[in-house]
Amino acid sequence: MMETTMLKIENLHARVAGKEILKGLSLEVKAGEVHAIMGPNGAGKSTLGNVLAGRDGYEVTQGSVSYDGKNLLELPPEARAAAGVFLAFQYPVEIPGVNNTYFLRTALNAQRKARGEAELDSMQFLKRVREKLAVLHLKDELLHRAVNEGFSGGEKKRNEIFQMALLEPTLAILDETDSGLDIDALKMVADGVNAMRSSERAFLVITHYQRLLDYIVPDVVHVLADGRIVESGDASLAQKLEDHGYAWIAERKLAGAA
Amino acid sequence: MSAALIEEFGRGDAREREESWRYSKTALRALSQQDFVAADTDAELPETLRAQFDWMQTRGRRVVLVNGAVSERYSDFADVGAMVTVGETGGTYAVRIDGGIDGPVHVVYVSVPSAQPSRWRASTSMVVVNGSARMIEQHLGVDGAGVLGSVRRRIDLGEGARLELVSVCDLPESASLYRLLDVHLGAKATLRATHVLLGGRLQRLDMQVELAGEQARLESRGVFALRGRAHVDTHLDVRHVARDTACDILWRGVADQRARGIFHGAITVAAGADGSDAKLSNKNLLLSAQAEIDTQPVLEIHADEVKAAHGATVGQLDERALFYLRSRGIPLAEARRMMVTAFCREVLDGVADPDLRERLAQRMHAALPVEE
Ligand SMILES: Nc1ncnc2c1ncn2[C@@H]1O[C@H](COP(=O)(O)OP(=O)(O)OP(=O)(O)O)[C@@H](O)[C@H]1O
Ligand SMILES: [Mg+2]
Repeated sequence: MMETTMLKIENLHARVAGKEILKGLSLEVKAGEVHAIMGPNGAGKSTLGNVLAGRDGYEVTQGSVSYDGKNLLELPPEARAAAGVFLAFQYPVEIPGVNNTYFLRTALNAQRKARGEAELDSMQFLKRVREKLAVLHLKDELLHRAVNEGFSGGEKKRNEIFQMALLEPTLAILDETDSGLDIDALKMVADGVNAMRSSERAFLVITHYQRLLDYIVPDVVHVLADGRIVESGDASLAQKLEDHGYAWIAERKLAGAA
Repeated sequence: MSAALIEEFGRGDAREREESWRYSKTALRALSQQDFVAADTDAELPETLRAQFDWMQTRGRRVVLVNGAVSERYSDFADVGAMVTVGETGGTYAVRIDGGIDGPVHVVYVSVPSAQPSRWRASTSMVVVNGSARMIEQHLGVDGAGVLGSVRRRIDLGEGARLELVSVCDLPESASLYRLLDVHLGAKATLRATHVLLGGRLQRLDMQVELAGEQARLESRGVFALRGRAHVDTHLDVRHVARDTACDILWRGVADQRARGIFHGAITVAAGADGSDAKLSNKNLLLSAQAEIDTQPVLEIHADEVKAAHGATVGQLDERALFYLRSRGIPLAEARRMMVTAFCREVLDGVADPDLRERLAQRMHAALPVEE
């Protein structure tokens, strides 16, 4: 059986604030797969997420990104979202004065409209919200507040996954969603992700910890260092990194080169 | 001619007038280079304009001034009740309220252009002897040749009286308006004023409030949301004269394209006004590189045991928040509109009547600058 390639990144170079951060990154993700991306602080993991989501100021100088056969880089962020790309932010943004429910409904309906689907009325929308809230054990009360405002660190992260559940993207990029979560919340987040795994959907899971990958078992693990993928392997690679640290990769590279 | 307009619209001596018009001098000069004829006070109001003020809730309690003169034809004061007396004395149209009334009094000022640039002047007064009252003030205009209107208004609140004033000024780019609002608050009187300023070639609001009686209180909320070449200049001047008086001023400003906004908020706590409490918050948002906003908070304290806090900022939309909204599928223009609406929300929170609040929110939402 041949699975279809969903995301194909080739020789991607990107600059932020005049500095080259991604230096020839290549990566291929097929529908149905979960890829974990690990790597030292400052390696460019969040930069990759931001480039894929279309953030201003992240300038691609070389290379290409195709998603479902389309050139992803020429789409504005909202069009990428409508096409199924979702980024769970490493640092979710607080937006005072914008009600969370209103925000979610506007987002969902904007995506549906862009795809030519019927918009949901408030009854249909609320029904869907309730279903998804239950999975993540989020308090109703958070919906009545402003977007992320005054949310605890863990609540913000769970809110990202709740949004993902609601928006049902086809490519979800989770940027350190596990950081700052307590053990129970980590399980809830993992359950939320696992419930969504399907043959049509792919995940890029950026994390520093093996623990998340015990719950969300990845098909492929990559090491991103200095703007490039320097090592890829199966789920056991994460355990090796946990045991030996990133220096181990560098040493192996040196040994290989010699 | 320019000097003449400054003289007419300025207060204080020549230097003070210059100073208070420093950001709008050019705009005023441009205005005064026209030859104005007297505006037509019998002008016909188009149906679309009438629909903008003919609200169900204020039927029977509405005064309409067409180019500064009370219009018998469009006013409807049938239902106003015994507590309210209205009448004209010496060219000033006066509303006097003695005792609480239920519905709001609705005062509508309409600027209708002539073939050439035209001018009108109005003078009104509102006295609430006691009880509590609500007033909605609305300024509207028809696009066309320039119209310059000026309104001098006096509000007097007697001891313990309370007035909620909601004022919306929604002008086409051809209309200009100068407003002087002179407020006098007696002991324990409260004025809660909410101003929404949208558009206009040159709009100037001078609001002078004297907290003359002990425990008098002013709550001033306001917002300007400007686009195109709109120019709005707001001057608030609050004087604490008596002991234990309070003011709470919260204004927001948004300017897009080539619009220009000015907020000047001065609070003076006079000697003897001990125990007063003065609060001023002014935040502004610039949506384009060509737009400009100036804010000037001024606090002068000559009394003892005074609590005072003030802050003023001019900033831009938070790019991170904008990206967050877009990354969830919300188109740029809508994302900007959401954030600007949120920025202005606090101002409308002060309007007690939910229907009116919703009406204002919708009007503002539609008028909000969201250029890409
Ligand atoms: N807006 C920016 N301005 C300047 N430098 C930036 C900006 N964004 C990222 N960088 C720099 O780019 C490099 C990569 O950052 P990035 O956030 O992608 O790292 P990361 O791999 O996600 O790290 P972490 O594990 O700490 O989250 C860092 O050196 C960072 O300082
Ligand atoms: Mg990061």
